[in-house]
Amino acid sequence: MPQSSAADQNIRIVRATSAFDCGGRCPLRLHVKDNVIVRIEGDDAEEPDQLRTCLRCRAYRQYIHHPERLMYPQKRVGRRGEGKFERISWDEALDTLANQLKRVKKIYGNGAILLMTGGSYLASLHRGGAAAQRLLNLFGGYVTHYGNISSEGAVWASLTQYGSVMVGHSREDMLNSRLILLWGWDPARMISGTNTMYHLIRAKENGARVIAIDPRYHDTAATVADQWVPIRPGTDTAVMAAMANVMIREKLHDQAFLDRYTVGFDRFKAYVLGDEDGIEKTPGWAAAISDVPADTIVRLAREYANTRPAALMDCQGPARSAMGEQYNRCAATLCAMTGNVGRPGGSAGGGLMGIPVAHMFRSPAIPAGKNPFELEGPKVKGTLDIRERVIKRIHINTLFDAILKGKKGGYPSDIRMAWSMCNNYLNQTGNSNKAAKALQNLEFFATQELFMTPQARYADILLPVTSTAERSDLMRPWPSGPYFMFSNRALEPLGECKDDLEIATELAARLDIKDFETHSEEEWLRRLYEKSTDLKHHIRDFDRFRQEGIHRIELETPVVAFRKQIEDPENHPFDTPSGKIEIYSQRVADIVEGLCPPIPKYLPTSEDRNDPLSRNYPLQLITPHPRNRVHSEMYKVEWLRETEPHRVWINPVDATPRGIKDGDEVHVFNERGTIAIAAWVTERIIPGVVSVFEGAWYHPDENGIDRGGCCNTLTRDAYSGGGAAVLNTSLVEVRKGERS
Amino acid sequence: MNQFGFYFDQTRCTGCSACRVACKDWYDIPAGPENWMRIEYTEKGKCPDLFVGYLAAPCWHCEDPLCAAACPVGAIHKREEDGIVVVDRDRCVGNTACDEKCRKACPYNAPQFGPEPGAKMGKCNLCLDRIQAGKKPICVDACPVRALDAGPLDTLEKQYGQTRTAVGFTYAKRVKPAVVFKPKPSSP
Repeated sequence: MPQSSAADQNIRIVRATSAFDCGGRCPLRLHVKDNVIVRIEGDDAEEPDQLRTCLRCRAYRQYIHHPERLMYPQKRVGRRGEGKFERISWDEALDTLANQLKRVKKIYGNGAILLMTGGSYLASLHRGGAAAQRLLNLFGGYVTHYGNISSEGAVWASLTQYGSVMVGHSREDMLNSRLILLWGWDPARMISGTNTMYHLIRAKENGARVIAIDPRYHDTAATVADQWVPIRPGTDTAVMAAMANVMIREKLHDQAFLDRYTVGFDRFKAYVLGDEDGIEKTPGWAAAISDVPADTIVRLAREYANTRPAALMDCQGPARSAMGEQYNRCAATLCAMTGNVGRPGGSAGGGLMGIPVAHMFRSPAIPAGKNPFELEGPKVKGTLDIRERVIKRIHINTLFDAILKGKKGGYPSDIRMAWSMCNNYLNQTGNSNKAAKALQNLEFFATQELFMTPQARYADILLPVTSTAERSDLMRPWPSGPYFMFSNRALEPLGECKDDLEIATELAARLDIKDFETHSEEEWLRRLYEKSTDLKHHIRDFDRFRQEGIHRIELETPVVAFRKQIEDPENHPFDTPSGKIEIYSQRVADIVEGLCPPIPKYLPTSEDRNDPLSRNYPLQLITPHPRNRVHSEMYKVEWLRETEPHRVWINPVDATPRGIKDGDEVHVFNERGTIAIAAWVTERIIPGVVSVFEGAWYHPDENGIDRGGCCNTLTRDAYSGGGAAVLNTSLVEVRKGERS
Repeated sequence: MNQFGFYFDQTRCTGCSACRVACKDWYDIPAGPENWMRIEYTEKGKCPDLFVGYLAAPCWHCEDPLCAAACPVGAIHKREEDGIVVVDRDRCVGNTACDEKCRKACPYNAPQFGPEPGAKMGKCNLCLDRIQAGKKPICVDACPVRALDAGPLDTLEKQYGQTRTAVGFTYAKRVKPAVVFKPKPSSP
């Protein structure tokens, strides 16, 4: 029976949102009674402006009030990783962490302290490890990681091509498109901005033709696509190059656009026509690589080139692979070849989809200061040379390798202890078994967490932190909008939970750090507002903003990336060295050893489908975003779990010869590990490929079989030449499990 | 009687389950077998020529509800004023006592039971509490792609047409479910 009703006077409605790394940012009205959220309603703006939340925040209260939330500090009493803990006081927990920081600094130096932060809380004041960064900078420094596990390939590609990461259009602009190519993009699941799927559906209803190019017939394709083009993972760039070939051969490309706005098309053309390497990138050539039939590629090229405006929507998943940067680069190049960059209803490609108004990247934050450990390192801002970025930092997808190998392995330091918050990297970066081994190597590991995650199990000290509902903060959407949000504190902290800022503040006192500023949450939020130029510009009345929880920015026309650069190129050059769209990048060419080619190219890689390893592991594994959790967050929420079982997608062509029936327990394995998971035998995936949604929790049994079905038990801890995490380039085999 | 009902645009539904989760939140129903809103799935064809469709499945508040007729204790009734079919859980004797007669009678699996023996029937009441407060049902407000609507059936018919079929749904003339659809073309 309902716990609340309209008549219940004891219920407060709190305007809030969540801070998940989910791709949305949605107004929530939390019904709160006696420090418990009893119900949830969404945005109450008049249609059509409602920003509607997805299923995840419909289940938000079951996350916040989950019985497995960590409610008091604990210390490890069993073997590390065994999961046996004992309750301790905050004083003991903080004293232990402070003493370890002092000890490690004294014996090994600051470089031995690893700070692990992440994206599980995206907001201003309490963002990720901001407070810990500030504290450790004042403490003499630390070593940390660089790069975003999700999007680094797309970031590198966009910086190379455009000198900017703001490559997105307002989602409403899809209504101006006559053709939309969903190239590795599934917003029904990964959201890509609140209401994005809704706008895509409206674009379809407005007459746009939609084609999905993807290894899976995902839910977005099932809803809007007129055609599904199944494609092998890692081969997108080959098909794009062949489309370019068709356009050039048939003179369908927009040479005037290329002449005016780009540099280096001739080099790309030489590659595509085979003048560079003697291999013409024909549809037949690409068909053999990708399993996309040659005539399909020809039709795709003609249709894309002849339909204006057309939006080629690439994303980040296919870029999370070996040479994944090339996919976003080549997509952006096709956008230029068809003259769709900077045009309403077109697209710029690049995979990031952000718009430069109220973007999350521009959120104010507490000042972290400079890291003394990095002071002698190179200046890395804007560099395309990934090697410079890993002199003083560790690439996020080799974090655990760095713990194991240290300086001898070419990493910046020998790590002795780690302090972690807002992440579950053991589960969410490549090669979870290696990560579990690496955490055994540490002398000390402290974690701030809400749940006993697979990574938290390895902690020596566990510090329980507050959820978003127990904090107030300034929020922004990622990557659409534009609007600003204020999430109001709905609950007093549950149990003994503290927020990360409070923890850092209490540690500062123990570490004798005097200049760690101490303000109340309220004071901090006002300070952040005052110093945020765009917030101040758009919002005059801070109190009204917090009361309403949202400020929507009215745009006269939808944002179109690079519109000024296209409409008025003389006064608005691109932010590249040439001032143009760089199809050929001299900056990339200048990077010795050529980690990435200066023009977009298809390049074979290890663990692609033709690797000799495929004799033993003949199936390609992809690891898309789940719908019923945010990466590995919300994994425990039963209302979400029951909406979709965790399964490996496998085509009947691959299942039948292996004796696998729908629902069987199977083992998916390679030399890195084995997961046990149920099989979903479906036509919705191309033969030769299996798919496991990321974020299920790593849970090895006594034989080392991961019963949780964490996809990263199978993936590689490697990164591509532009920094893309190589998580969608893994070969595996599947066999029936012992329990089927 | 001014019969209330649902509209479901099957062409928009992505099968995301936001409606189903919102329903569980609003009525505080634990994870488990009791689902007042369900999502039914249809997959046909072969790669790459496929049809995939979803069907939101609440209670359709039939004009002639078989569940009410089947209930041995008269715990289910159809409201005079709006035709919403509601269950009186105080009167319901629980599923072990009557062997789930209502569920077995319903062509749409609308009557639902929790996992415990003797569980009392629960089902979609079209968010009567919300409708009386001038709001739409929570599933309608929750749908991220605006695939659902609810209200007086004649109004829905005027707005959306009178189509009574959708993939995965059979209109039972005997009971006259109160729903209109925009069905998804089913040939791949």
